[in-house]
Amino acid sequence: MKILVADDSRVMRQIVIRTLRQAGYAGHDIVEAENGRQALDLVHSESPDLVLSDWNMPEMNGIDLLAALRSAGSTVPFGFVTSEGSPDMRARASAGGALFLIAKPFTPEAFDEALAPVLKG
Amino acid sequence: MSTVVEPTLTDVQMVVEEVWNSFLGGEDPLVVGAPGEVPTGWSAAVTVTGAWEGMVSVELPAGTAEEVCRRMLGVEETHDEDVADAVGELVNMIGGNVKSLMPGPSVLSLPVVAAGRVARSSDTTEVCRIDAWWAGAPLQVCVHVHRGH
Repeated sequence: MKILVADDSRVMRQIVIRTLRQAGYAGHDIVEAENGRQALDLVHSESPDLVLSDWNMPEMNGIDLLAALRSAGSTVPFGFVTSEGSPDMRARASAGGALFLIAKPFTPEAFDEALAPVLKG
Repeated sequence: MSTVVEPTLTDVQMVVEEVWNSFLGGEDPLVVGAPGEVPTGWSAAVTVTGAWEGMVSVELPAGTAEEVCRRMLGVEETHDEDVADAVGELVNMIGGNVKSLMPGPSVLSLPVVAAGRVARSSDTTEVCRIDAWWAGAPLQVCVHVHRGH
């Protein structure tokens, strides 16, 4: 399977990829995007099986990325990995069509709990 | 007269400790409550605007910022671009969690990172400060709010 990781921080992308391995998802192909605009292009060109996206990014933020994907007809499974985990943000994520929101800082266990239904389901 | 809404010291300390323990802990736990003069190195800040308005900042000595980068990236050699990225992500996580504790709706800015001290607006007041030691050096996390907000 292929996972697209979108975050404007290279450091955080590396932490997300490392945490995926620690959570037991080591064998998947990883594609990286620096912002929502790049992620949107990569969803179309790479056809990932899952998108893990930051919320707050330059160029295009995560919630606008999700809206753009859904309005273009994409049904790719989508989850947020973001520092903002308030009930309001979770509600907005869910209303936009996100499957889950993992709040930073996170643990491998949190990743597994969120990703298992998508990648092991 | 308006009331300044501010996060509690306990809440901010919990946020800082959670961030540190998740990504930087291990052999060097964060020791909170040990004030020390932070030599000018790297600093970063995020602002929150909306129902609650404030700024969360982190100041670290240069060597500590480089160690943060090494631990977060899992590398030995650091470059300024990665150090700035790591310090910015630290304040992004702390600021995002502080935002979640405060009244909403509000918007979190992208982090601003500086080699040196981050500039603060003159109409802000410090409402919370965490002095801590980590990896043998002092660091500081502050929350400022706009006066009268």
